[in-house]
Formats: sequence, C-alpha cells, structure tokens
Amino acid sequence: MARATLGREPPAFFRQGPSAFSRLLVFSALALLVMVADARFHVMQPLRTALSVLLYPVQWVAMRPLLLADSARSTLGAVAGNETALKSLRQQLSTQSQRANLTEQLLLENRRLRELLALQQRMEPTALAAQVLYDAADPYTRKVILDKGEVQGLRLGAPVVDELGVLGQVTRLFPLVSEVTLVTDRDHAIPVQNARTGARGVAYGDTSSHADALELRFMAANADVAVGDLLTTSGVDGVYPPGLPVARIEKVERRTDAVFARIYCVPLALVAGASQVLVLAPVGVDAPARPEPTPEIKPARNGGRR
Amino acid sequence: MIMRPGQRLLMPVNPGFVWLTLVLALLAHMLLSMLMWGRAAWAPDLLSIVLVFWTVHQTRRVGMAVAFVAGLLVDVHHAGLLGQHALAYVVLSYLAIMVHRRLRWFGVTEQALQVFPLFALAHVVEVLVSLVVGGGLPGWWALLAPVAEALLWPLVSLLLLAPQRRAPDPDENRPL
Repeated sequence: MARATLGREPPAFFRQGPSAFSRLLVFSALALLVMVADARFHVMQPLRTALSVLLYPVQWVAMRPLLLADSARSTLGAVAGNETALKSLRQQLSTQSQRANLTEQLLLENRRLRELLALQQRMEPTALAAQVLYDAADPYTRKVILDKGEVQGLRLGAPVVDELGVLGQVTRLFPLVSEVTLVTDRDHAIPVQNARTGARGVAYGDTSSHADALELRFMAANADVAVGDLLTTSGVDGVYPPGLPVARIEKVERRTDAVFARIYCVPLALVAGASQVLVLAPVGVDAPARPEPTPEIKPARNGGRR
Repeated sequence: MIMRPGQRLLMPVNPGFVWLTLVLALLAHMLLSMLMWGRAAWAPDLLSIVLVFWTVHQTRRVGMAVAFVAGLLVDVHHAGLLGQHALAYVVLSYLAIMVHRRLRWFGVTEQALQVFPLFALAHVVEVLVSLVVGGGLPGWWALLAPVAEALLWPLVSLLLLAPQRRAPDPDENRPL
C-alpha cells in the first residue's frame, strides 16, 4: 500500500477517466472513420458480417411468432375462403396450362431458330426460394433482408423476383442472411424495355414522389410512351434475365421546357409486402469477360525538372 | 448526497439489471422495427431512451463506448451506413452526461421536457449524416419521433427505477 499513500494520483473516487468532451471527440472521430470507410472505401464488410452473425439468432427468434401467426391465419382462413380460392385457382391453372403447353412448343421453336441463326442460346435461370425476414428500418433506403445467405449458395448481384415481377437485387451477402436493394431504392437502376414499343430505357428508384415508385428517365419528350405500358427487363445489363416484368407506367408528364419527359411507373412486384421470393442466378456471371481497353499511348514528356 | 425534497432514497442498482435492460431494449428496438412499424420515420427509438436513462442515472457504468457499440449494431440491423447511428448515439450520450446532474433534481415530467431536445438533436445528427452521404429527407413524420421518445421517458424511468424502489429487507442487517 506504499504506492497508494505516497503516490500523487487522486483517489479512485475522483478518477473518472478522460473528460466527457474528449471522449465525445474520440468516439465521434471513430464513428466518422467507420462511416467514411464504409461509404467510400467499402472495407467495413468483415465487421458488418461479424455483427450480422451476432444479430442473426435474434432475428431468427423474432420471426417465429410472425411465422406462427401466418400459418395460423392461413389455416383458419383456408376453411372460410376455400371454395372461391379453389375456383379461381382452377381457372388460373387452366389458362396457365394452355400457355405452358404453348411455351414448350415455343421454346423448341426458339431453340431451333437460334441454332439456325447461330445465336447464343438463352440460359434457363436457376432459382432458389427465400423468405423476406424484415424490411430494413432505414427510412432513407428501400431494402429487405432475406433469410438465405452465402451458406445456402446465394451470390452477390443475384436478381430477386416474386410471382408478379422483379423485386430487386442482392447487394450485400452475409453468411446466413442477405440484403436485397429493391427496385424502388433511390440508388437502384434497372435497364428496361417497353413491351409495346421495344424501346429500351433505364428505370430508377424514386421514393420522393410516391411512397414506392420508379421513374423512367432519359426518355425524350416526344418518345412513344403511354400510360399502362408494361416495362420488362431488357437483359442488356448482364444481371437480370430478359423478359421479366418490372413495372407499369402510371403517369407521363411532358413539359415544353424540358428535353426529357417525366415518366412515373409503379412496380409490379409487391415491394412493400413480399414474403416469398425467388433468387435467380445472375446472368452475367457466365458471360465472357469484358475485353481490356487498349491503354492509351501517352506522349513521352521530356525536359523533366532537375 | 443532496436530494430534492420528497425524493426517495434509492437502493443501489444491480449492474446485471443495467446490462439486461440495455440488451432487452436493443431486442425490442429490432423486433418492433421488424414486426410493427417497418421503416416508419415517426417510430420512437426505444434503445436511445434506455441509453439516455442509464447514462443519466449510472454515468459511471454506461457511457459513450456502450452507445457507440449499440449504434453499430443498430446500423447493421437497419442495413444503413455503418456508423450513422453510432455517431447519433455518441452525441446523445455526451448530452446526457452533460445534463445528468441537473436532470436528477426534477420529477419525471420535467425530465421528459428536458430530454426532448436531446432526442431531437440526435435525430438531427442522423438526418445530417444521411444528407451528407446523399440520402433524402425522411419527411415530416420524422418530427414526431423525438416527441414520442420524450413521451415514453416517464414510463421508461418508472419501469427501470422500479427495482431500486423496493423496500429494503430489514432481516439482512438485523443484529440478532
């Protein structure tokens, strides 16, 4: 105890570590560092992965009551609405089976034609069923979390669809869960094709005007676009397979002072309430690599400073 | 210890209870956002209320390091920018440390009035960060979030102080 009596340090009662303001500075700097590292340099993925694995059990437990309620509701509701549901499903099945029969024939015809023309064969997309765990609670983005991850064979960039249309794309991959950026996210762009006219364009997520919408940008003010047109994936991006329905045009604003028309679309997929989704394999993975651009030859500089 | 007139002498806090409530608040925050209000901007942030509460009442135990880690976990759960909530919670924790001596002199209703600007500032930090990285504004409904948090303050303080308000057990210190 000699040190305690002879030392000049204050007793433990007064020793409170660094002051609150200096701690504020340290931790704010740390938070800013993490933010910059995440947004600019994308080096925070290991930390994110570790924390997400830590959080996964919680999410798993949290989903149990919801799933139970879902199954209970479907069991109880099935009894009541059985008859009508069955009838409509039968009708759907009959129309679908007609189309399916046609499809087989068309597929065969298509393959032969493509062989004749020596075009590249269209790939059959492989799909993996997944469930939406929850909507990401960030009000600035539109993302959902799926219950499948790297362990189940998901790949980064894989397109995600539901039964009605394209939902989005896997943008972050964790071991057991994955993050899907929806087509309505403001940073998401999807190349589309107008099914009526065949004109290609790019649809951007738009959260400003409506709750969940898309905007078809860079279409000339006199372009042939009408309300009700169906937009499908064009397949030129090497991510989405061609021909998946994406959105329907809701409103076209043509202004005399603007070069481009403002075109609002509503997504076909249930972006707000999808629960069962399909994750397709990204198309572009098997495509040949982009050729290296030939390096520009710089003129030799002479007369360097000494 | 100087106390405001009429204030009850509290029992010492159980450190396990502090950590348990913090973890439970994180769970509740995650569950509520997953199951009930999705990405609604007006939803109160339970975790930040509990963080401020323990920073005010147990300044030596719960401070900015806890706030920072909690913020990182929330960011991962929100799939947002890593560090956004961490910064907001650290600022919140600093403000709570600044006011903690004064705040305990007031009753819970007056406390709720005084913590309202703290929560509002934390939300402002969040919005500023999202503006800087290129996100949009969350909309007018976001103004309700700090109000809801301040309204929840009396309830949270009632619940979290309840274990310390138990009557002391006389048998423990009885000489015979």
